[in-house]
Amino acid sequence: MLRTDQNDLLTRTGPDTPFGRMFRCYWIPALLAEELPENDCPPVRVKLLSERLIAFRDTEGRYGLMDEFCAHRGISLWFGRNEECGLRCPYHGWKYDVTGQCVDMPNEPEHSAFAKKVKLKSYPLVERGGVLWTYMGPFESQPPLPEYEFAMVPPAQTYTSKRWQECNWMQAMEGGIDSSHVSFLHRGDLHTDPLFKGARGNQYNLGDMRPVFEVVESEGGLYIGARRNAEDGNYYWRITQWVMPSYTMIPPRGTHSVHGHFWIPIDDENCWAWSFDYHPTRDLTDAELAAMRSGKGIHAKVDANYRPLANKDNDYLMDRAAQKAGRTYSGIEGFAMQDASLQESMGPVVDRAKETLVSTDSGIIMARQKLLRAIKAFTEQGVTPPGVALDHQRVRSAAVVLPPDQPFKDAAREALIAHPGVAPASV
Amino acid sequence: MTPDPIFRSESARMNTAAEARFRIQSPPDTHRAVKVIDLDTASASEITRLLGEVDEADLVLMLVSAGADAEAAARIGEACSARRVMTHTVIVRASAVSDEALSRTLAQVRPWSLMVVVVNDEDYVDDILRSFR
Repeated sequence: MLRTDQNDLLTRTGPDTPFGRMFRCYWIPALLAEELPENDCPPVRVKLLSERLIAFRDTEGRYGLMDEFCAHRGISLWFGRNEECGLRCPYHGWKYDVTGQCVDMPNEPEHSAFAKKVKLKSYPLVERGGVLWTYMGPFESQPPLPEYEFAMVPPAQTYTSKRWQECNWMQAMEGGIDSSHVSFLHRGDLHTDPLFKGARGNQYNLGDMRPVFEVVESEGGLYIGARRNAEDGNYYWRITQWVMPSYTMIPPRGTHSVHGHFWIPIDDENCWAWSFDYHPTRDLTDAELAAMRSGKGIHAKVDANYRPLANKDNDYLMDRAAQKAGRTYSGIEGFAMQDASLQESMGPVVDRAKETLVSTDSGIIMARQKLLRAIKAFTEQGVTPPGVALDHQRVRSAAVVLPPDQPFKDAAREALIAHPGVAPASV
Repeated sequence: MTPDPIFRSESARMNTAAEARFRIQSPPDTHRAVKVIDLDTASASEITRLLGEVDEADLVLMLVSAGADAEAAARIGEACSARRVMTHTVIVRASAVSDEALSRTLAQVRPWSLMVVVVNDEDYVDDILRSFR
């Protein structure tokens, strides 16, 4: 459990909140590059960390992310005309470039200098790995561009999707590091989903349904190890990475691609669940890409606004017959919506003062405590939080078999670091 | 007429902030009994006394420094296992402690711990205990 004030601290990420200020220390995913597919394409509304923004791509291919509303009369620039290197408000013609600078004010006298004094708040927007990243903190503290491996490999080796999740980001993120739910909620899909089935590691999962967990601090966050019995007295370890504030990597299976998530607040009651799959040494196959695009693995089928087709308005397409027959454990299809349906059912912001945690929740407990410590150090002493440094981002999850007395953090040290061109440690 | 989205489904109706106000306001009072033992400092008599109290425990939390002798974990773990009591070990690893020293401690506690947490700061222990209420 958490005290109510601690719960508020972790779940509020608006611009004037302690965690909101710390979240703005990081580059975060803002849009998929496909959302701004060509120069002068339609602008896109974006809401991040409770700020309403507008994204656009100008005539020269530059990306802009700025205050959604025209400085003149507060019109949404989503209605704007994206033309000749700027976004023009259709109401009175004020026009802004990608930095938010007003460059034309046609209802003022010709050659008036007033436009130079009008600048909307704006943030950098940079493409990397098919994702448009933004940094919403102070200019003088801007860190180098992110180097998470999924965004650094060649385009043919990586695939990223996003879906809207209708609850606070912490609820979603905590699901990403809650290893013990997998044996229940997702048990029906491990052997049927094309992006998971066939791995030798699946047999260890099957053979030992009561994994033992170890949580170990890392430089950027946590390692969360799930231990099962393997042959000859050895242990099969599945090691999840959590990098602060909201990056999680799921251990790989066999020769399948590696996958994970970013959990990014839209506001305090909604978040984006970003899901990526990549392989460090090979292109994704056509079959893998087709499966990901059709919502298999950790991805979901979504509409044009990235809202899942199975959502709370249709009871997530609950299939009681599939639940009863054991085809799915909860009656909901697919890993992503199995998680999202339950996390949304907790309410927009769950009251953690009322929960009853047990030992297997230690990953969640430690993540909360590390975040609370980082917020305090950042707020009181200006300490840069874990996860900003590039070394903290160059990590991998791993699935390995180790002797029984080995600390996995040390025995699998190299497997937990992203080495370009080196295959992941996977069983 | 298209129905208001809020009335489309039971899930949509029940997952709103307004409805959250009507959720049960008091958590269940579990009276969870947690026994904490510091393996670094516990004497043989303290461990013997704890073994007598395991029956009433819901959770036994063992605290040990990386590199320290955790041989007593076996006695405690055996008693907990026989009585189906959850065992949780927190290892505090000082920055200077070697991998080998941590390995020795892990080898002693792993067979008897259903959850192991390795932390760099002893202050986490209180936070973990408070989380269990």
